[in-house]
Amino acid sequence: MSVELKMAWRNIWRNSRRTLLTIAAIAFASMLLVFMLSFQLGCYETMINTSVKISTGHLQVQAKGYLEDKKMRLVIKDPDQVASVLETIDGIDSYTFRANGFSLVSSDKRTYGVVVTGIDPEREAAVSTIKSLIRKGRYLNADDTYAVLIGEHLSRNLKVDIDDELTILGQGRDGSIAAAVLTVTGIFDSGLDEFDRNIILMGLAGFQEVFSMGKSVHEAIIMADSLRDVAMVKQEIQNHFSTAGDDTKLAVPDWMEIMPGLLQGIQMDLFSGIMMYIILIVVVAFSIFNTFLMAIFERTREFGVMMAIGTTPSRITKLVMFESICMTLVGILLGILGGSLITLYFQKYGISIAGTEDIFKEYGIPDRLYPRLSLISSTAGPLVVFLITFVSSVFPALKIRKLKPVDAMKTV
Amino acid sequence: MKKVVLIIVILFLPFNLQAQTEAETIVKNAFDYWRGQASVSTAVMTIHRHDWERRMTLKAWTRGESDSLFVIIEPAKDKGNGTLKAGKGMWMYNPKVNRVIKLPPSMMSQGWQGSDFSNNDLAKTDSLIRDYVHTLEEIRQDQGKKLYQIKSLPKPDAPVIWGMIKLTIRGDNILLKEEFFDEDFKSVKVMTAWDIQMTGNKLFPMKWKMQKTDAQDEYTQFVYEEIEFKKSLSNRIFTRTNLKNPGL
Amino acid sequence: MYVILAWRNIWRNPRRTFVILMAVIIGVWSMIFLGALMRGMEREMLKNAISTLTGSIQIHHRDYLDDPVVNNSLDNIGRLDTALDKILGQDSLWAKRVRVNAVVSNARHSGGVTLVGIEPEKEKAVSFIGKAVTQGRYLVKEDKNKILVGRAFLKKFNTKIGNKLIFMSQGTDNEIASKAFRIVGVFRAESEAVEKRFAFVPLPQAAGMLKMGNSISEISILLPELDISGKKEALVAKKLVAAIDDKTINVETWQDLLPMMKAYLEMSGFFLYIWYFVVFVAMGFGIVNTTLMAIFERMREFGLMKALGMRPVQIIIGVITESFFLLVLGISLGTGFGFLSVAAIARNGIDLSALAAGAEMWGIPRKLYPEIWAQDVVVAGLVVLVLGIFVSLYPAVKAARFTPTQAMTKN
Repeated sequence: MSVELKMAWRNIWRNSRRTLLTIAAIAFASMLLVFMLSFQLGCYETMINTSVKISTGHLQVQAKGYLEDKKMRLVIKDPDQVASVLETIDGIDSYTFRANGFSLVSSDKRTYGVVVTGIDPEREAAVSTIKSLIRKGRYLNADDTYAVLIGEHLSRNLKVDIDDELTILGQGRDGSIAAAVLTVTGIFDSGLDEFDRNIILMGLAGFQEVFSMGKSVHEAIIMADSLRDVAMVKQEIQNHFSTAGDDTKLAVPDWMEIMPGLLQGIQMDLFSGIMMYIILIVVVAFSIFNTFLMAIFERTREFGVMMAIGTTPSRITKLVMFESICMTLVGILLGILGGSLITLYFQKYGISIAGTEDIFKEYGIPDRLYPRLSLISSTAGPLVVFLITFVSSVFPALKIRKLKPVDAMKTV
Repeated sequence: MKKVVLIIVILFLPFNLQAQTEAETIVKNAFDYWRGQASVSTAVMTIHRHDWERRMTLKAWTRGESDSLFVIIEPAKDKGNGTLKAGKGMWMYNPKVNRVIKLPPSMMSQGWQGSDFSNNDLAKTDSLIRDYVHTLEEIRQDQGKKLYQIKSLPKPDAPVIWGMIKLTIRGDNILLKEEFFDEDFKSVKVMTAWDIQMTGNKLFPMKWKMQKTDAQDEYTQFVYEEIEFKKSLSNRIFTRTNLKNPGL
Repeated sequence: MYVILAWRNIWRNPRRTFVILMAVIIGVWSMIFLGALMRGMEREMLKNAISTLTGSIQIHHRDYLDDPVVNNSLDNIGRLDTALDKILGQDSLWAKRVRVNAVVSNARHSGGVTLVGIEPEKEKAVSFIGKAVTQGRYLVKEDKNKILVGRAFLKKFNTKIGNKLIFMSQGTDNEIASKAFRIVGVFRAESEAVEKRFAFVPLPQAAGMLKMGNSISEISILLPELDISGKKEALVAKKLVAAIDDKTINVETWQDLLPMMKAYLEMSGFFLYIWYFVVFVAMGFGIVNTTLMAIFERMREFGLMKALGMRPVQIIIGVITESFFLLVLGISLGTGFGFLSVAAIARNGIDLSALAAGAEMWGIPRKLYPEIWAQDVVVAGLVVLVLGIFVSLYPAVKAARFTPTQAMTKN
């Protein structure tokens, strides 16, 4: 066995130019595959992160049952306790608290049903993109009690502008009437109709007072360091609260449970992305196959000579296959290395696509896309290439068997 | 001749039709007894949940089955909050924001003031008469008084969410119990009235309770401190202006 | 002269030629095929979005989209009918609707939905609901108080066919209107959100409940052709606006109604061409490789030519011309195969319902019909040709550098 292997290795380097060309082809192809997959996965990550940053966050802590039915009474009674737990967990980038209540909002002219959300202005700015979506007026300050931010749609429907007054009338946590007069301080535009039309934002402290919440809240919104950390963070939070032993009854839903539509959308895009990737692999594999084929043809004379001196076709086949494997392995390893390096470089500095920056910025989508290197992205493509190359080296090998030494040696 | 025919027709009326007409009369009488006249009252409403309880004192004016005005007088932070039902519409007033707001459909199925009586319950008190077909199921005797057990099924196109209502009405027209069922005929909530006392010249239950069937510790209780029945009340009471300033 | 020489050269070693040709053919074929799949997918996505009530074009009262209340209704039905008859051809279909937000309750649940009053027969042709009913039955014109709800809605409200739902909304008289409907059918949609959001009743019932008289909320129009660029629809919309001639009425195309979809489709095209470039790079390296190998094997040949007096530049031109032929040949054949393979599939479409269980979760359209866009074919061909010639420069230059001595000492 090892004789063929040694011979194969020596053979490879006998014609170093051809070998280097082949290895370069394989390496380059592998690099491309690594980069493209990393880029696609990175894009998805960007899409998910952008979407969750608008309001849901990566995961949330809520009272059990709140996700299904947002009853005022299902509260987190002790947000400070939750905060202290969150502080201890690595992998959490930022968090904030919110409370929600369905209310009627009226201007002079019209009345609509909306959800009033109380936010902690400072913390919220670190967690969601709402601050950057303000088009008119200003964001909330920490001491704003009766200031409110409304969506552009709603401001048009209610026919109000900055500094106009709005009345909200809803039900407090204890069932009592929650009523207040709020001043429009800022108008936002998120590009999402549902959001702009149905949600208004006020300070959390003010909300708690108006809706008789005491110090309780409804949701803790959490952004993890990265998408990959979500599962781990979720598990840790759950552990904390199950060992707490009390009847706090908290649930920790993640973005997939809160926004199933987003996952669906990503999966659909992933499908077309995979289709593209498969076709790319086919082209790449074929490219390499071609290279091998060419190499075999160019060595017809050489094979003819070998057969003439008594080498059996099967031995030549074995030889050729070993050569293929060696070259492929070297090529793939180089490709993975090179691909990973390039990916990491762009992972740090990002790629911007000409022409899309403006639209993206408007909606809080980062204008640079970042590929994301992972075990899958760095090995999936090259692995498939290896398999295909292996399989495709069979064909030339078969060709060898059919060679007649004399004809072969006549080849120029 | 005509008399003979009439007698024969009446004698041969299918029994359930008879029972229906009889039930309808009983229900109508009980309803008229309860809401027929006008009333002015003061009551304490207690909302009880498994981990908290809220109590408020109200002043209430009702006239017939369609007009009502409820205003909170205690606790101080909710004082002046009121709900007016007049004609087809329902309005709310809150003194803090000094606004009268017409209740939109989205609020109708919510509990009034967070209680187990929905805004709709208050708005459509006459629904029982208008939207249901009543059948007398049985007559019992209890402490010398007749008790009518009536089954009410909604008319086919009636916009009511219940699948069935069961009523227990006393011989002297007092409504003792109203049970609400869903379309699978499972009980959803029950209203009971007790502590019958003489008020003015009329016997009336002073304690009422609306209880969720599946949650024994979730209920709303209404206790009348005083109630006065009148022939009628002035129109002026059931206006939005009065809602804002009911002259407590 | 170069031409003849180049052509002959190619066929002197058919095996070599064949291998290089293959690379080009596969590359071009994959570009055409992928392009067709992508465009097919785009169309399916758009069709899906449109059939979820949007339609090619919609007509509303000018304030309706901002504020979908009954007061913002279309009153001038006669005038609209005339305009529609005039402008739209025989193959266009349209349906009238009443659409409001309402609160729905039964004994134990309550929530918000969008109540849609439809003309059952006309609506069938215009949106998804006609084919979407999986339990019970669809609506007929004579239905009085029957309603269709989504499967996810049925689950959420814990109810079943035959049970009633009470709807409350605000009528034109500003009073609360309520009505009971009985569930007669259950529909499935591409997403649970749609199933929970819409409830369908016969139009006259909805209009009656809201005291709308003859007014309606919207008209939805389905044009016989769907134009992914949206231009055809925009044209028809413009004509309609002129024919209706009423400032209180707006005509919107699906691009106006679904701006996110519009942006996605535009980006999709852009990304496709980036992929073309990537595919070429993958392919191109193979081309350079094989061409280089061929050049080196032909070292003797080139050395000889130089010895016979050929100038380097002539050799370069010669090699490039060979490449040119190979590329053109490869592109033509590749495009040909592309067309054939797409045609083979296009008849029946790719049926993804085999992946249905996964597709259900993934929201992929059920059937994919690949379609070839002329501009994609042209772009693919140009990219390969131009870049192909560009990358052939390196081997060409290398070939021109062979000295006769090198050539003759080659084994």
